[in-house]
Amino acid sequence: MTREFRVNGGLVDRSKTLGFTFNGKAMKGHPGDTLASALIANGQKLVGRSFKYHRPRGVFTAGSEEPNALVELRDGAFTEPNTRATVTELFEGLSARSQNHRGSLEFDILSINDMLHPFLSAGFYYKTFMWPKTFWEKVYEPFIRSAAGLGRLSMQEDPDCYDKGFIHCDVLVIGAGPAGLVAARAAAESGARVVVADEDFLPGGRLNAETMEIDGSPGHAWAATAAAELASMQNVRFMNRTTVYGAYDHGIYGALERSRDHIGDSGGKPRQILWRIYSKRAVLAAGAMERPIAFGNNDRPGIMLAGAVRAYVNRFGAAPGKKVAVFTNNDDGWRTAADLAASGIDVAAVIDVKNSGHAADIPGARHIPNGKVVDTSGRKCLKSITLNTGEKIRVDCLAVSGGWNPNLHLTCHQRGRPQWNDELSAFVPGVELPAGMAVAGAARGKMTLASALADGNDAAVSQLESLGFSISAPDIPKAEDEPVNCTPFWHVGESSSRSWIDLQNDVTVKDVKLANSEGFRSVELLKRYTTLGMATDQGKTSNMAGLAILAEARGSSIPEVGTTIFRPPYTPVALGAFAGRSRGRHFRPYRLAPSHEWAKSNGAGFVTVGGWMRAQWYVQSGENGWRDSVDRETLATRNSVGICDVSTLGKIDIKGGDVGAFLDKVYSNTFSTLPVGKVRYGLMLREDGICYDDGTTARMGENHYVMTTTTANAVLVFRNLEFARQCLWPDMDVHLISITDGWAQFSVAGPNSRNLLKKVIDPDYGVSNESFPFMACGKVTVCGGVPARLFRISFSGELAYEIAVPSRYGNSMMAALMEAGREFDAIPYGTEALGVMRIEKGHVTGNELNGQTTALNIGLGKMAGVKKDYIGNVLSRRPVMVSEDAIRLMGFRPVDRSRELVAGSHFIAMGDPVDMKNDQGWMTSVAWSPHLGHSIGLGFIKRGHERKGEIVRAVSPIHGMEMDVEIVSAHFIDPQGERLRD
Amino acid sequence: MTELSLFSTPPLDGYDKSTGDIRLYSPEALAVVSIALPLGSEDSALAMIASAYGVDLPSPGKSVIATDGARLVRLGLDQAFIIFPHSAPDAEDVVQGKLEDAVYVTDQTDAWTALAIEGSSTRDALERICPIDLHPESFAVDDAARTVMEHLGVLIIRAGDNDFLLLSASSSANSFLHALETSIANAG
Repeated sequence: MTREFRVNGGLVDRSKTLGFTFNGKAMKGHPGDTLASALIANGQKLVGRSFKYHRPRGVFTAGSEEPNALVELRDGAFTEPNTRATVTELFEGLSARSQNHRGSLEFDILSINDMLHPFLSAGFYYKTFMWPKTFWEKVYEPFIRSAAGLGRLSMQEDPDCYDKGFIHCDVLVIGAGPAGLVAARAAAESGARVVVADEDFLPGGRLNAETMEIDGSPGHAWAATAAAELASMQNVRFMNRTTVYGAYDHGIYGALERSRDHIGDSGGKPRQILWRIYSKRAVLAAGAMERPIAFGNNDRPGIMLAGAVRAYVNRFGAAPGKKVAVFTNNDDGWRTAADLAASGIDVAAVIDVKNSGHAADIPGARHIPNGKVVDTSGRKCLKSITLNTGEKIRVDCLAVSGGWNPNLHLTCHQRGRPQWNDELSAFVPGVELPAGMAVAGAARGKMTLASALADGNDAAVSQLESLGFSISAPDIPKAEDEPVNCTPFWHVGESSSRSWIDLQNDVTVKDVKLANSEGFRSVELLKRYTTLGMATDQGKTSNMAGLAILAEARGSSIPEVGTTIFRPPYTPVALGAFAGRSRGRHFRPYRLAPSHEWAKSNGAGFVTVGGWMRAQWYVQSGENGWRDSVDRETLATRNSVGICDVSTLGKIDIKGGDVGAFLDKVYSNTFSTLPVGKVRYGLMLREDGICYDDGTTARMGENHYVMTTTTANAVLVFRNLEFARQCLWPDMDVHLISITDGWAQFSVAGPNSRNLLKKVIDPDYGVSNESFPFMACGKVTVCGGVPARLFRISFSGELAYEIAVPSRYGNSMMAALMEAGREFDAIPYGTEALGVMRIEKGHVTGNELNGQTTALNIGLGKMAGVKKDYIGNVLSRRPVMVSEDAIRLMGFRPVDRSRELVAGSHFIAMGDPVDMKNDQGWMTSVAWSPHLGHSIGLGFIKRGHERKGEIVRAVSPIHGMEMDVEIVSAHFIDPQGERLRD
Repeated sequence: MTELSLFSTPPLDGYDKSTGDIRLYSPEALAVVSIALPLGSEDSALAMIASAYGVDLPSPGKSVIATDGARLVRLGLDQAFIIFPHSAPDAEDVVQGKLEDAVYVTDQTDAWTALAIEGSSTRDALERICPIDLHPESFAVDDAARTVMEHLGVLIIRAGDNDFLLLSASSSANSFLHALETSIANAG
């Protein structure tokens, strides 16, 4: 291990050593290191290549704002690209690789782009790749994307798991720096439920990177004690490694906890947890971020933010260089020089743009007032800097400080606009904050330690008072107000070399000026044209300089230029974390019919319908393909008897003194006259008169009805009924409850259905045609006393019943029905045979009730009464809805019986051109009818009821298909309905 | 008449698993019956409930244990559930027998699947899927709420400091169980 870049001090645990690799090279670090600090300690200055020009880049910051040090972590399917080395906690065995280079990191062949830079200025894609037009998508874009870009995905399924969760609190404190810790302590002591979230693994914020004292102790020690005290309190949830990435409505915050990212093997536990935090109040104490100064070749490895340089020295005991210069426009840069000198690092010079005296006394360092760095040298590592005087100074690290910006991003997530503060030369939070949020400390522009501590307390107190908590006397820790004078200075105009503003997107001062001269003068357009402030860092270190240079080019002020909108997420969130546990089979819930186990063990294949897994058909040995099974099931049912689980249809239990009158209002036809013990088919319309849903409703008692709905609309119909009873007619005594899942309901259909049921229904109950006629219903018992409901209704057109038992008996009831039907060769049938039989009978389903059709269209115009008041009545009588020319539901059969109809075909009269103008309707449902031995279809066609026997063309241009079809009755079997009543 | 007989196979029947200090199990033979208070006759219905069960029907969002051990859960102004141990498929008749025509009664037993969860870290598991605040100050013992967990409608009742009864639709019982098992495993 290279020791030469380790210095004394710091908060890493030197008693333990962690082994890791970077580009396959073995290196060592300590617990408490980030990957970035460990790389610096190992003397690894070059960590990646830039996005566009493939320029060598090194670590630039010590926090989540890092634009350069993006790496791929872990191996194989576990690979995670675009991870910031500056926030990656080091662990034993960590494998990291640099990204965005062809060939090795040291010899990237695409660094030729850097030579071509005169051609690659802002907007060059748009200007260069204009011809030929068709090349953009197929040639240019794929090439550009592969050359420019970030890390690569493994293209394998992520073996790690992720989760999400919900947290509730009175006060959410965002950030555990000095202001956040004081705010959290005040909140915790008041008895409020407090959540403290901090993105770092070590609470304390800048205190861990500074040498300042609080209450006479080192700042980091004070922070550790304060955090430990908070974490031990029952009413406090202390969450480190947790980034609050978004401020949403009503005090809801999104937070990402990297719960196991710092452990080599997550042990099957979620690596990351996405939390939704419901807060009554929030204190944003997110601190501030340092900004750079742009000058010639300011992107070389070894050029870093000054605050980061001293963070590496003070917190991590890692020296970013052996001979360091500081280039600053503010007092804070001097702090870096002082801290480095105190750690024994050679500080060559402090170059201050101000023409003022020493802000600190730095032993051995030259003070260069009125100084500017105009250029640098060193390809893979900084070798020297050149000043405006022409003097060269040999250094391997340059610490740059252009002042500090409050971290106000979350204040803008609901469109709040920041305000310009001249004194700080920075934007501070505006007056419009997300509801319930207060901002404290450096995030509010309180840049000194003592003022940040006091501000944290004040913010907490005002938030707690608004919640009604009593506050004890404030106990604000003692600290100094350090000097923070800052002279606005954004870029060195004398530099002739490229001066980088956005390191992540390779945007230079010249690019911004070019954009302005080409007319992209709005800050939003500047962003899109130059890509300034895009990608993973969202311009955290670059936006201010970009605005300042645009303002300068426009001849206006920075506040006049304004800012782009900050949106969530504050820092990148992996898609895996958003997906959480919703993957594979459990992407969404699935529902099983009550006889699912029976069906599974009897050859059923399943189809998902409205969340349900329904038996589609049952395969028997010797059958080749689904049509064999479906034809057999259909014929066996029509010839003798078949059984189908129809429990998935919505079932709503409706009770009350006014149910009959209520149903008259929600159905187009009348139910108040339905006798007890009878079932009626009902059609519901929407307010606009279009068909909504259909089903049967049974009157089980004087004040008791059971409504069925289609499977797909079960929840929607229930919701509509609740709206109707609670909001439209609250004076009616009507009570609803869903019983869909409560009953296992089976259709028993076919000429032998009655004979079969006689063997299952207890003998106390008669099921003869006389005692239980078509459309009868009633309570019965089955198999020796189990309560059941029997309905004589048919969807197949055969003599048929539906029988329901409590769903706990679903599997056993199916087995019992099959056993009872053995002598009749009873078969189970699935949804395909169900569909074939309903098409043969001309019944409508979702294909026909598609949200565009009326009662008249589907042939039920007479059911839509005009005398009573019901939902949809008025608008269903609009002239266009009842036009004689309206489409009508009809049956269709191919003139050439050997051909198969195609659903979705449109009808065109013989000889007419195939275009929209001549469109007469469409085929909604088709099936092979084993009963008739040819293909049949249902469909809508204009004035169909007057056109029986006419031949039209069914055309499907997308299938390249056309055939002649005959318009026939929609009832292909038993048009008089004799079988039903038999 | 044949010798056919039916046997009961409700989802999650007999499920009982302990992970760390959390026990998740399917309570045996729990009947659920909904009652609705007729419009205009609420007072007489409430009086009948009080006399039949020995307790007043609580306000919406609250539940109470009756003298016979049944739990009465008020879900809305006009709706409540009565939850009690009962295995035969006639729970509706049992409740109707007690309350007669004072309320409308509907058997809900088979529409729901119940899971009980208990143990000192139960809330750590539930916070992964339960959007409502389960802190005792917000959700006290005997409080009840209808909410959504993993897209599934759930009725949650706090039976004790660390004990919760959860009811969700019986057809999606497997998804519901998976949601809870995953939460327990992830939080543990």
